[in-house]
Amino acid sequence: MKVKDMIQLNNVKREQLNEPNLAYYEEMMLYIRLSSSKSEQHTEEILLELLEHLLEAQKEGKIAEEVFGKNPKAYCQELIAEIPSETRKEQIKFAGYISLLFLAIVSFLNGIVGFGFHYFFQFGTGLSTFHLGSGIAIVLIDLNILYLFILGALKWLKSTAFKPDKQKNKWIEFIQMWLVCTLSIGLFMLVIYLMPEFGRSVSIPTIAFAGIGVILYLLSLLIKKYL
Amino acid sequence: MSIRSQLLKGILEGCILSMIKREATYGYELSLKLQAFGLTNISEGSIYPILLRLQKENLVEGEMRKSETGPRRKYYYLTEEGLKALEEFQDHWEAIKSPVDRIIKGGKAR
Repeated sequence: MKVKDMIQLNNVKREQLNEPNLAYYEEMMLYIRLSSSKSEQHTEEILLELLEHLLEAQKEGKIAEEVFGKNPKAYCQELIAEIPSETRKEQIKFAGYISLLFLAIVSFLNGIVGFGFHYFFQFGTGLSTFHLGSGIAIVLIDLNILYLFILGALKWLKSTAFKPDKQKNKWIEFIQMWLVCTLSIGLFMLVIYLMPEFGRSVSIPTIAFAGIGVILYLLSLLIKKYL
Repeated sequence: MSIRSQLLKGILEGCILSMIKREATYGYELSLKLQAFGLTNISEGSIYPILLRLQKENLVEGEMRKSETGPRRKYYYLTEEGLKALEEFQDHWEAIKSPVDRIIKGGKAR
């Protein structure tokens, strides 16, 4: 069974759980799925198995605590430790997909916004000039920042799982997340701002960035589908 | 992990291999069978980390199959290596079972 189909099936079957069992199961599901370096195939297989088991147990009138124990976090860690790691190929594929998608969005927005400012408000020349060496360096460094950001976000999400007083912390969590996002975006910009100019100077119409964005997006789809 | 749970895991592993050898089975059914044999103080969920490890070590194999009564389920089979591991477990168990029994029940040394 493919990962996509298993997730789909999981979504449908999960609806049969009663409220406390669903809450317990979804916390587990979130926590296990956030273990980023594990094989997606095996992760979804075991999640489906746990769900099937819980559904059967529910029919017998049992609750999730009786099936999986009173300490779901420890139980999940035990499971995660035994799930095989994702293959190198899958990891590289995923990193490539995310990187291209990120560059596609940034490039597209840059092209559209730059073009819009020029076209509607006569702002700038409609041409973008940059230095090839600096441009490549900026892309590489920003991709690394993105990588750290994603890693951090996953870790942070994992740390919020299984907290009983979740409701109380909602505002603090929101402000934490907001701060980290703002900081990351600031860092992206800082790299662009501080990068010295080196390499050949290139000028292209700003709107071309939108085109590049679309091409990068299509490439990312290709990677996701066919590699 | 405590020695107690390590010990329990090793034994449970042997029991699971043994149950799967008798008949290919899926997770929920497996836990019911173990309980039917009296292993009732072990939480049902504890079989899954073990099943994952047995798969990783290639001792069992899972296959999605339609069950007689209901939905597709993941059935577990014993592999060749699993069979060997089970035989090893049986030997170890035979060698340790009666001495331990005698020791903890205060019997006499042979």
